[in-house]
Amino acid sequence: MQEGRPLTPTEVNRDLLRPILETPKWFWPAIAVCGVILLIAAVTVGYMINRGLGITNLNRPVVWGFFITNFVFWIGISHAGVMLSAILRLAKAEWRRPATRAAEVLTIFSLMTAMTMPIIHTGRPWRILYWAFPYDFARGIWPNVRTPLIWDPSAILTYLTSSTLFVVIALVPDFAVLRDRTTGISHQIYSLLSLGWQGNPRQWKLQVIAGVLLSALILPVFVSVHSIVSWDFGMAVAVKSWHSTIFAPYFVVGAVHSGVSAVAFVLILLRWAYGWQAYIRHEHIDALGRLLVVVATGWFYFFVMEVIFGIYGREADEIAVRALQFTIWPISAWTFIFVVTTYFIPVALWLSRSARRNLWIMSIACISVNIGMWLERFLIIVPGLANRQVFTFTWNMYSPSIPEIIIVTATFALVTMLMLLFSRVFPLIPLYDIKEGEILKTEIQIGRRVVPATYRED
Amino acid sequence: MVSSRVDHKWGMVVDLDRCTGCQACVVACQAENNLPINDKAAFLQKRAFEWIRIERYWEGEYPNVKARFIPIMCQHCSNAPCEPVCPVYATYQSDEGLNVQIYNRCIGARYCINNCPYQVRFFNFWHPTWPASFENYLNPDVTARSRGITEKCTFCVQRLRRGELKVERTEGGRLNDQNMAERNFMPACSQACPTNALTFGDQMDKSAKIGPYFDDVNAHDIHHEHDRTTRSYLLLEELGTKPNVIYLKKIDQYPLGEN
Amino acid sequence: MAEHSTSHFPADTWVFPQSNQVVNEVMERTTKKSKVFVALLLISLTLLALGIIGFVIRLTGQGLSDYSSWGYYMAAFSFVFMITSSAPLVAVAFRFTKSHWRRPLSRVSELFAIVGVFNILLFIPMVIVLPSIANPDFVPGAHGELAARRAIWLGSSGVPVGAPGLWNILSLAGLAITSLGILWLSLMPDLAQSKHAVSGFRRALYGALSGRWYGTKRQWIQQKTGLCLLGGFYFMLVVFVHFVIVSDYAMSLIAGWKDSILPPLYTIIAFQNTLGLLLIILFVLRKWGGYREYIGMSLFWSASKIMLGLSLLWTYHLFAFFMTFWYGRLEVESSILRYLMFESYSVIFWTNVLFSFFFPFALMVWNPIRKTAWGPALAGLSALVGGFLFSIRIFVGSFNAGDIYALALSKVPPPVFPDIWDVFMVLGLIGVPLLVYLISIKLLPVMSIWEIKEGSMYQKMDKLFRGEYLVVAKPE
Repeated sequence: MQEGRPLTPTEVNRDLLRPILETPKWFWPAIAVCGVILLIAAVTVGYMINRGLGITNLNRPVVWGFFITNFVFWIGISHAGVMLSAILRLAKAEWRRPATRAAEVLTIFSLMTAMTMPIIHTGRPWRILYWAFPYDFARGIWPNVRTPLIWDPSAILTYLTSSTLFVVIALVPDFAVLRDRTTGISHQIYSLLSLGWQGNPRQWKLQVIAGVLLSALILPVFVSVHSIVSWDFGMAVAVKSWHSTIFAPYFVVGAVHSGVSAVAFVLILLRWAYGWQAYIRHEHIDALGRLLVVVATGWFYFFVMEVIFGIYGREADEIAVRALQFTIWPISAWTFIFVVTTYFIPVALWLSRSARRNLWIMSIACISVNIGMWLERFLIIVPGLANRQVFTFTWNMYSPSIPEIIIVTATFALVTMLMLLFSRVFPLIPLYDIKEGEILKTEIQIGRRVVPATYRED
Repeated sequence: MVSSRVDHKWGMVVDLDRCTGCQACVVACQAENNLPINDKAAFLQKRAFEWIRIERYWEGEYPNVKARFIPIMCQHCSNAPCEPVCPVYATYQSDEGLNVQIYNRCIGARYCINNCPYQVRFFNFWHPTWPASFENYLNPDVTARSRGITEKCTFCVQRLRRGELKVERTEGGRLNDQNMAERNFMPACSQACPTNALTFGDQMDKSAKIGPYFDDVNAHDIHHEHDRTTRSYLLLEELGTKPNVIYLKKIDQYPLGEN
Repeated sequence: MAEHSTSHFPADTWVFPQSNQVVNEVMERTTKKSKVFVALLLISLTLLALGIIGFVIRLTGQGLSDYSSWGYYMAAFSFVFMITSSAPLVAVAFRFTKSHWRRPLSRVSELFAIVGVFNILLFIPMVIVLPSIANPDFVPGAHGELAARRAIWLGSSGVPVGAPGLWNILSLAGLAITSLGILWLSLMPDLAQSKHAVSGFRRALYGALSGRWYGTKRQWIQQKTGLCLLGGFYFMLVVFVHFVIVSDYAMSLIAGWKDSILPPLYTIIAFQNTLGLLLIILFVLRKWGGYREYIGMSLFWSASKIMLGLSLLWTYHLFAFFMTFWYGRLEVESSILRYLMFESYSVIFWTNVLFSFFFPFALMVWNPIRKTAWGPALAGLSALVGGFLFSIRIFVGSFNAGDIYALALSKVPPPVFPDIWDVFMVLGLIGVPLLVYLISIKLLPVMSIWEIKEGSMYQKMDKLFRGEYLVVAKPE
């Protein structure tokens, strides 16, 4: 499964460092667009903090709406990084090589973006920072560790810290390459960041050990983060449709699904934007598609389990929520769209080899997954709250307001802008991973054919 | 923190046979506790504040229709699901059996609103305002909450504190049904109710009117509900929230379908 | 055969059997009479006899109308079923991921398809024993009793006619047929090649089963496609059947137990146990079966990573279940936690966690142990013990949970200890698959000859810089 021509180290350096050493034409316009959206959103957030959450369409009983949906969505996207870099590294899959850095960076930025959501959605955000911080600033009261809302920042910040460490350590050899090719201030900054990397065998050995250790240690964090976010809902006893034991693995698999799809889409964009056709090849997108079939089917299994066991108890309040989700317009339409876009359209496409190798089709499939997964979070949160009680007197629906739509759109702009800025300063494809992959390529003669092969350590 | 030298465990009994759905309790609560005025906009936005609300359900088809009323306020659960989920300990169970909300600690995360099975918690989406003339009617004993804070029924804790201060600390007596009724230390809703459907009292007071009902419920849990001797039941009892509000079943003199 | 190694892997990590010797060597071992084999055969026959005795006595004693005395039968059946139904999946899964070390494992796992047929037979008493969904004593207006016990089968007025039993048997039959299909497709090339190396009834059998296999390119492509499609279908069917069995025989029999994570939890422990059993079998084959040159250590090294992952994954799912039930302090859920974890079956539960998590984790975390054959096999044995205890906890617990039509467990039932006939039945239920499997490996080649030959073509050792490494071809 190795296509494309062999790449020399010089070529690799030149191609992958080009975005850093020269500015692409479309760069500043893209930043400007994102910047405008972010500015509008910043003004909206300021207005919301000034006037209150009344400017949203949140009401009683639907007190969690677009912001929390968005929060869970971005935490979900952040699971791509560990899946692709850590799990595939431990499984020794060769095709992960171009994807790891972009995935890890997407993880970090989507985590940072996700964290803004719970802060702005609270009633008094200016209090949250020092009362959720694990220290008794005020009157000897610590944060309440029994609540999933406090497990959230612990898990997310742990994941953010370890992902950042992961990226920074993996970047050290690449910083050294940049150090040797720049002058002036850039040179000094890269020198500092490269921590005296000389590329001798001892340093490489330490680098590999660090990579393997971090990959293994970040796995429990990766599983725990989205489990804990899912327990924001799972621990609630008053919302029957949320109180399901399967929420933790269901959300984690859903996160991997949306995250890996997002990374696949980002890779296709990078390939087009930076002209990296030799590095992000059809075989990589093909392999991502096959992984996604397994992940999507696993997600679908968990989804079906959740719905079946929701109805299993035949409890009136839970049936009411399911009826809202599946039979009442317009929520039923959204549910139909969600199931089709998350599973049936993408997997049908991914099962065909030619579709997997067609970048347009893959882009559509991956965007479809993320639309569906965003809807999934919405359809778990809002119908659960809308029809939540046996006391039907307080049932109510929810639809988003303009400020909420602006702010949610701006999170996409934020992540895009951060990724763009990152790509100008650090290489988005790890140089040494590609070079290592080139070295490990070889061939085997089988009968009359010469077949590509790889050197493996185990 | 013990606030009085006498132990209390407050409770309420709601007699559904007597409730006529007149909403006097709702108005009294609004006046006593500085609730924002629920204008049409607030109802349309579904953000109205009703610390005690009358839920009205229709039964039957016209012309044989019956309206069912049930007043629901904070049940002050002993095993409150709203408590473990607050990130900043803004809500806790006091040693008098009240579920207490600390307004200046609340950051407005709203998990407590989601986790309350009775939906008795309310969030201030806007900064509450009153017409200038109304501001003279605000109760100085009760905090006016700002926006971004969750609030709910407190069993008029300000009246209970005033009562404890006067009757117990100053006069050395003990709060009971009689002096609470005479001197307005009852919650506003039970004071205002014209049919005495809402009876407030101290579960630790042997002579309180609510005593027999709490004894009955404590003696027969949900698995032995059919052994109960009074009409008592608890709302959503199967959730195990152990509410301190007991409801008494309405006995229909003229059930639907009969003349 | 020269031995190869890099600095930190032992000498026999990778093996390269010679293609032209494979058929003869495998057939020689298949037809050989060995003392170890005969001993195992006698043991399994004894277990079978004990099982029949226990079964007959229980049948004539309590009969099939009272399901509470069949708890241990169901637990042992579930244990056997979950392992033997998931076993062919191991071959399917590792073929799908193109793991280069899977080759000795494939046939060992596919042969469990034959055992799967006997699962249907063993399951029949359980179909008859399952209590009715409709509550025969239901009085409308009575307190706290359901008209129908909660089940995944929805029907008019909540009472589906005969659904669980029918679906369960049909799906078990589907599993058996699909796995036999996978086995047959995988066997065809081997039997076609091997029929010349054997004589007598084996030759006739191989001839009949291998049909018109000539090894043309078209046939190879058809075989691969068939394995792929059947494998995917089998995977989904196994997951479905696990869900159905655990819902009908465990969850719906304990009042108030509404738990969406139980089917995945059961499936994961099934996968962990089946991998464990396969590692034990491979260890035995390597040590006493004469397959030392076919089973390299790389298999144990890589499979132990999966074993570690599955153990962790199971614990995570168990914790998710516990956390959700424990947090809300709902009486319904707390009773179930007390019943299945902390009071009645607490000893079984903690021993279960010890054997399903702690021991495999403690063993598989150390690289030197992962590089041996006994290490993963021991972890597998521990996983099997844990899996059996898990089945006891879930199924004996559910078969003896009192009123199945109540809204919740009002009293936590006491644990049920096995009597001697229960023990006999459990032994018999373990003896049946053992016997069937032993007969299968004597009848059919236990190594997947075509895959091993393919592996020899695709792998070699080569020098890179200063070290010698394994080179694996990637023909796709």
